[in-house]
Amino acid sequence: MSDAGSRPRLKLGGHLLPGLAAVALFAVLAIVFLQASFGEPAGFPEGASITASIGYAMFNVDTEVISETVVSGEGFVVAFVLIAIVLDVAIDGAVFLAKREEDGGIGGVLTDGGRELRDTLRGGDD
Amino acid sequence: MVPPQYYLLLAAAVFCIGVFGLLTRRNALLFLMSVELMLNAANINLVAFSYYWGNVTGQTFGLFTMALAAAEVAIGIGIILVLYRNFNEIDVTEATTMRW
Amino acid sequence: MAGIFDFAPAIVLLPFLSFLIALGTALSGRDLLPKGGAIPGIAATAGSLVLSIAMAAAVAGGEVYDETIYAWAAGSVPGSEGLELTFGVLIDPLSTMMLVIVTLVALLVHVFSLGYMNDDGETGLPRYYAGLGLFTASMLGFVVADNLLMAFMFFELVGLCSYLLIGFHFREPGPPSAAKKAFLVTRFGDYFFLVGVVAVFATFGTAQFVGTEAAPGFPVLAEQALAGEFTANTFLGLGPQAWFTVVGLLVLGGVIGKSAQFPLHTWLPDAMEGPTPVSALIHAATMVAAGVYLVARMYGFYAVSPTALGVIALVGGFTALFAGTMGIVKRELKQVLAYSTISQYGYMMLALGAGGYVAATFHLLTHAFFKALLFLGAGSVILAMHHNENMWDMGGLKDKMPVTYYSFLAGSLALAGIFPFAGFWSKDEILYYSLTHGLAGQPLLLLGYVFGLLAVPVTAFYTFRMVFLTFHGDARTEEAESPESVRWNVKGPLAVLGVLATVAGAVNLAPVRVLTGAHVDFLHAWLDGGFSDLTVHHYAEIDPYSSAYIGTELTTVLLGAAVSLGLALTGLALAYKLYAVPTPVEHTDKLGSVKDLLYDNYYQDEYQVYLANRVVLPVARAADTFDQGVVDGAVNAVSSVSLFSGSRIRRIQTGVVSNYAALVTLGLTALLVVFGVLGGWLL
Repeated sequence: MSDAGSRPRLKLGGHLLPGLAAVALFAVLAIVFLQASFGEPAGFPEGASITASIGYAMFNVDTEVISETVVSGEGFVVAFVLIAIVLDVAIDGAVFLAKREEDGGIGGVLTDGGRELRDTLRGGDD
Repeated sequence: MVPPQYYLLLAAAVFCIGVFGLLTRRNALLFLMSVELMLNAANINLVAFSYYWGNVTGQTFGLFTMALAAAEVAIGIGIILVLYRNFNEIDVTEATTMRW
Repeated sequence: MAGIFDFAPAIVLLPFLSFLIALGTALSGRDLLPKGGAIPGIAATAGSLVLSIAMAAAVAGGEVYDETIYAWAAGSVPGSEGLELTFGVLIDPLSTMMLVIVTLVALLVHVFSLGYMNDDGETGLPRYYAGLGLFTASMLGFVVADNLLMAFMFFELVGLCSYLLIGFHFREPGPPSAAKKAFLVTRFGDYFFLVGVVAVFATFGTAQFVGTEAAPGFPVLAEQALAGEFTANTFLGLGPQAWFTVVGLLVLGGVIGKSAQFPLHTWLPDAMEGPTPVSALIHAATMVAAGVYLVARMYGFYAVSPTALGVIALVGGFTALFAGTMGIVKRELKQVLAYSTISQYGYMMLALGAGGYVAATFHLLTHAFFKALLFLGAGSVILAMHHNENMWDMGGLKDKMPVTYYSFLAGSLALAGIFPFAGFWSKDEILYYSLTHGLAGQPLLLLGYVFGLLAVPVTAFYTFRMVFLTFHGDARTEEAESPESVRWNVKGPLAVLGVLATVAGAVNLAPVRVLTGAHVDFLHAWLDGGFSDLTVHHYAEIDPYSSAYIGTELTTVLLGAAVSLGLALTGLALAYKLYAVPTPVEHTDKLGSVKDLLYDNYYQDEYQVYLANRVVLPVARAADTFDQGVVDGAVNAVSSVSLFSGSRIRRIQTGVVSNYAALVTLGLTALLVVFGVLGGWLL
């Protein structure tokens, strides 16, 4: 059973006005792109395995000695390692930001699943 | 093949939808979702031009972009958490203390 | 030998050095010099006197000197070759004469100050001697100035020193007020002088008093302009003659202020608040002489402008009579002398206006001596009377202070113009020239002559009223009974000046020359030497006057001398009859309300205060409103624009992130459009 009154409604109002800037930006980009002239796309060679090519490109594998047809690309092994570091930093940062401050020190990130809030809202019963 | 202009147009449309969301959304989490849309629009472009030039660099770079987007969201969620702690709201129009 | 002239700047620098020494002592706050700076001052003025006499000897040998010592600004003026502002030294007969007078009187005043200030136990002496030193240096600098701008600068310095010295006892209420009044009144005249200096530069391109054949001084240029040989720049649409008159009258403003002529005479009687040696040096012999000396220095310029000469003569003659009438009712010793000074400088201005260049200079010389003598004598009396200046409290001092009495008497006889004292010869010559030039069709000069002649008995009367009240009769108070005795440092200068007042007339016995043909008019011959553009006969050629006689030259001389001597003796006799009695009374009370008018100085002081309040103050207020409103307002408006726009523009920082994002997006779109249109890849 669906409550007709509680379905999500599209909220229209004055707060949508800044969105016109986005529309204008789209208009400008569309005009430029549709007028641009490109040559013929080069496309990938017949029977080349793109996923394998991505792998070889990512780890700087020498593509001369491989038997199958490979699409050429640049080496990204340094970027791979850097991204690994960045992801690591990101998880550490997220944990740090989530920590609570307790009296006298930094507390842990574990929460109580909302028990305290429920108790406060319901006035202590249950 | 589909001419590259249409891929560019698609990417521009997705980007501008993301920008629209950025400009009109008040919930901080929906704000982050719009940012994700913009990043993915750039990825569409990268892949489209990877096919145009016949080079796999574009697609490889797209993978890295996705990884960065993930990292950025992680930090963004952390920031929203701190924002909630300070203002008891995740409405971005409420956090206006750094003003004139 | 030209070598002596190279020491000319030392004449100015020696007193300046003594000023620095005394100033250093004063600033250090310690008792470094035994007599508070008197010894350096005396040494410096003595040195300057020796150098001045040496210069005079060299000039007597026929040499002159006009050198630029230092050019402190040079620039180009559109339409002429260039303008140079310089300090220079001009040594010629007139300036050496003045140098000797100034250094001699300064030396005597310094010695007298030992008695007046040091022995009387005054404090703050280094400040006093510093002021005297700076004044002497400035006055000497003024005398040797070779161009009008340098003269103006030293003119102002002299005024400053006068202010400093009048206000020496600044902790009492009178002196600072008198000092301010002196400074302001002379400053008012000096404003016109400054405009005149600029006008001279603008008109002639040079302010040198004398130059070379190729680049003459501005008096010669004025002459040439009127003869059509030189084009001077004139302003206000006036022709050369009228414009030169205007310039001459502008410079005259400063002269009238400094030499205390009507209407800027009001400061001099109040200046008597200063110590008496200061009055003797500054307000009798030297500073007030600066105005007359300036006119004499640039006489070639005034001589080509008959209107200016007429104004000078009229102002001088009128002032001579005007001040004389005020002197007859004064009670204080120095006040009588102050009005006498104003009156005598009126005579000198009358002489200059009447074309009697030698007569004016002669009277300048004799007056310096006898007036300084009278002031120093008054100082001696004031010391003896414990600073009580009221003549009605004196009396009978002649037996107790013989040196003072006889020298004062010599000075008084000279002032009154009694034969054979110095004043007789010089005053007589002034009246002679105004008479003869006036009779040759110059009614203004005749009017001046009448004023001058009427002032003669008045002068004699108030002078001898002063002498008899002070020295004759019975002593009227305790202090007069037993006056304080004075020492050699007071009596010495009095004796020297007494001798000079008696014999200085021998310098230019013009009537004797007319009578016997002997060349005894030494001053005339002295001033006829030096630069050819600055000689007496050159001035006589270019001035607009000719002479007419009553009968022959000889009869005119004798008649004039007899009349003035007779009038002077009449004045003396009247004063003798009224005041040379054991207990004189205030006979001037018989004048009734006229006496009040005279005692209150014809209400000139009140009139000037009224002008300041009613005329100057509203103008000053309006100027202030303009300054605050328009000038300051413009500056404030500029800053308020900045503040206002800032306060409005900062509202962009709303703190809402979405707004910033909207601005970024709009900016990006705008940039893309602009670059696209300019680059040609959009549309």
